[in-house]
This record gives sequence, structure tokens and C-alpha cells, in this order.
Amino acid sequence: MEKKKAILEKEFEELSERDLEKGLAEFKDKLNAEYSAYLQSCVHCGLCADSCHYFLTFKDVKSLPAYKLDLVSRIFKRYFTFPGKKIPKWTGAADFDRDIIQEWVDTLFGRCSLCGRCSLNCSMGLNIAYLIRTGRSVLARLGLVPSGLQSTVDTAVEKGNNMGIAQEDWEETIEWLEEELQNEVHDPTAKLPLDQKGARLFYTVNPREPMFFPLSILAVAKIFYAAKESWTFSRGNYDVTNYGLYSGDDDAAGLMSDRLVQSKKELEAEILVLAECGHGYNSNRWEAPEWLSKKYGFEVKSILQIVAEYIHQGKIKLDPSKNKDIVTLHDPCNLVRLGGIVEEQRFILKNSVENFVEMTPNRLENYCCGGGGGQLAMTRFAERRIKTGAIKAEQIKKTGAKVVATPCHNCIDQLMELNKHYKLGVEIKTVCEIVADALVL
Amino acid sequence: MGFIEVNSRKIETNEEGFLVNPDEWDKDIASALAMAEENIDNLTEDHWKVINYIREYYTEKKLAPMVRKVCKNSGFPLKYIYELFPSGPAKGACKVAGLPKPDGCV
Repeated sequence: MEKKKAILEKEFEELSERDLEKGLAEFKDKLNAEYSAYLQSCVHCGLCADSCHYFLTFKDVKSLPAYKLDLVSRIFKRYFTFPGKKIPKWTGAADFDRDIIQEWVDTLFGRCSLCGRCSLNCSMGLNIAYLIRTGRSVLARLGLVPSGLQSTVDTAVEKGNNMGIAQEDWEETIEWLEEELQNEVHDPTAKLPLDQKGARLFYTVNPREPMFFPLSILAVAKIFYAAKESWTFSRGNYDVTNYGLYSGDDDAAGLMSDRLVQSKKELEAEILVLAECGHGYNSNRWEAPEWLSKKYGFEVKSILQIVAEYIHQGKIKLDPSKNKDIVTLHDPCNLVRLGGIVEEQRFILKNSVENFVEMTPNRLENYCCGGGGGQLAMTRFAERRIKTGAIKAEQIKKTGAKVVATPCHNCIDQLMELNKHYKLGVEIKTVCEIVADALVL
Repeated sequence: MGFIEVNSRKIETNEEGFLVNPDEWDKDIASALAMAEENIDNLTEDHWKVINYIREYYTEKKLAPMVRKVCKNSGFPLKYIYELFPSGPAKGACKVAGLPKPDGCV
């Protein structure tokens, strides 16, 4: 404990006046009329309290969304409003000093998963998660992003994917999975294409799939095979993740998303298809055009939309009796509440399993699993992450399900930990793994 | 921060149970980590085959090997690796082999 504290304090002591100015300049740069209005509009009604899984877990003021927002607002008022500049004490404005920066790191990174549930329940409709991310952008400029999260961004920027997988290892894994697919469907011509120009779909994955959990890739390849789809991977750029969304570093975030845009163009594919990855969908579908200041000019879809289309069009045949266990669904915040993909996964599961049950609450009102917002990468806050996951564990227990499906690899990892810690005794799967099990070839 | 006790030595682990100093690793520590993290009280020959390979790969490259390499080297099918280490290759096998936590969604 002491060692950790010492490291943290050293970080703050080393901040120079010049650093603080750089931070404020970044803050100013990020402000627009919308955010400026939000930062002056909280009426402290308190409705956000019960919407936040941190507040529900810890019941302390520091976990209250309105308090977290106020941490950012205080600095905004002090430096960017007339009354705050003149009479800071009367307006709730505060100096941007080392103490508040320390609290920013602990709170904006350590007590928020950017899930956006507070915004949905805010009486003023404030986009609280985005303002907290703005605070994270300032901290990113100061080099204060917690280490595991920063190293994931750095690895992705330097190595082309967030786990540092070498290209030959990626290619070898794909070749191996191709053999596995051929054995499974008894067809030596079944393919997992790499760099196939002119394919209809350019499919991307989360690096954790080839690295540690490749069965989800095999499942999607099997679905593509059944639908006789024209698709391809890229040899170089296949990483759907974007931890710049979590660290607040828009330059790094834009760089990562632009790789997919460039590869899509080089491959002359029609649609960029994003794997089951919540923040990867939110980043590459919605945020990237902002980071890149340009419109895409092509379609970007979640793999769930593609699979739902196959079912609608009769391109794949499913036998729900192949999945007899009770299945429930966890809605990833970035894909559902923030991404707008809500009904596809339900439609797919109802066609793929015999017993589908919803957890409560669900869809837009669903609780974060606790692993979002970069929490999974920030070892420093791991204890809080597991504690806030108790709400999700309880939701799962109440369904009586044996299988939890979730279209997000980040959520899967957190759910696997919750499964162990809270002794849930469930299996955690991607939606496509369940579909692949139900396929009739 | 926490620690695990191995033959009356206190070995430091981080908030997620990974070794703070991966170089401290030895076979007794692996057994203690396996008990603490995977509830395995007796590591079998098959467990060791996986652990030793991951450890050697890490010592040479300072990286965790892809699960493809683990399967190829051990000759075990993928599903068997998940059975050996229920928390998976990262939070199970690599952790027991004393590796630091990998970057990414793990």
C-alpha cells in the first residue's frame, strides 16, 4: 500500500507550473458550446446517485456522478467563466492544483466506467460521461493515465494491435483456425481469407481473440461459411479496439481508427464489420469521424447486424434445440446504451437457443459489468472493479441462467472474473459462439 | 497490493494477483499461485508442460505466447488448455507462470 502511494505522490510532485498550463490548454481545446453549457447546468437534484454502480456499491459522495462532474466543473468555472475568475469562492470554482489533479486521477479514472447510465437518468440531460472523459483528456496530456491503460494505448500505437502480436503469429493463428474450420465443416475449401481484395466485408477482431480465445474467431468464420459470405481479414490492421476512447487521448484514438479506414480502402471492401467489442463499436462507428474530422463515406456495422440480416434473409439455418441451457444476455454499455445496437442480439439469441431470459434491468437501463471505461486495464483500481461487479453478479444469479451471452470481449473478461469471485457457476460466451453451435449446415 | 506465502517467504502480488517481481518466480511460487488463483492443489505433469513452456517463452521474449503456440508446443487441444486453467491462458496459465499482466482486454 505504502509503495503504491509513494509512486502516485511522486507523479504529482513532478508536475511543473508549465504542465498545469498545458493541462488547462487541453481543457480549453476540448470545450465547445455544448460542453460549456453542460458544465454550468447541474442542478444537484441527486437523481444520478442511484443510477451509478459506483454509488450503489460504495454509497460515498466521491462516487456520486454529480460530484464527479463537479470536480470538472470547478476548474471550468475558475478559468473559463467571468464570475469564476473574479469571485471563485462564491461560484464554487477551484484552482487547478496538484491536490485536485490527484483527486481527478482517483475519481475520473478510478470511480467511473464511462457507462453513461447517469446521463440517461439525469434530469437535465447532461452528458456526464463525456465530461468525465474530457477530464481524462486533460490528465492524458499531463501523462497521468494509469499505467495499464496507458501501456495498452502505447502497445496499440507502436505495434499495430493492443497486445503486441507479431504479424507472423497472427497469420499462423489464422492458418491454424482455417484448418480447424475445414475439419469442423468437412470441407477442405473452407477459408479464413487474409487481404482478399474486393471482398464484401472487412472483418476486424479484438486481439485477445487470436492471442488467448480464438474460438470466437472460429465461430464467426463458421457463420460466414454457412452464409457463403465474401469476407476478409487484413494482414496488418485487424484490431477493433481503441483504448484512446478510455484514456482520453484523441490523437492516439484517431490514429488507431484511421488504420481501419485505410485498410478498408486498400482492401476495396464494401462494409467495415466490427467484432463483438463494445467500445470498439462506439469508437469506430460513432467517435472516429469526430477524431478524424471527416465523414467515412462507407458503411460500418457490428457483426450482430450482419448475423441478424442472415437470419432475416434465410441465409443461415439455426436449430435452437442445439442450445438447451437457459441463456441470459448482458448488454455492453458502449454497444447498447452508447452505441444503439439493442434488439439485434435479442433477435439472434431467440433464434439460436431454446430458453432465453432477460436480466433486469436490461437494454438501455442495464448496469455496467464494472469492467468498462478501461477499468479492466487499470490494476490500481482492480479491487473497486470487482466490488462494483456485485450488482451484475446479482442480476445474473436472479435469472437462473447457465450461460451468459455478451457481445463484448472486455465484458467477457470481467464476467469471467465475477463468475469466479461470486461463484456464479455460469458459462460466459459471445453471441456468435452460441449462433455457431446452433448452425445447421 | 497483497502477498502469497511460500515456505514462510512473503511474495508480493499486485491487486489482481500477478507477481510484482516476475523474476522472483520459482516452482514453489507457481504451486502457491495455482492454489490461490485456480484452486488447484496439485499441479499435474500436463499443467507443468504448459507452465514451463510459457515461462521459457517469456524468459526469452519478455512476452506471453499466443495460445496457438501453447497448443502446438504441448500437443494439447485448445479446449484442454481451458480445462487445465479455468481462468484462461492470461489470468490462469500466464499468472501461474509468473508473468506480468498482459496489455489489452484481459
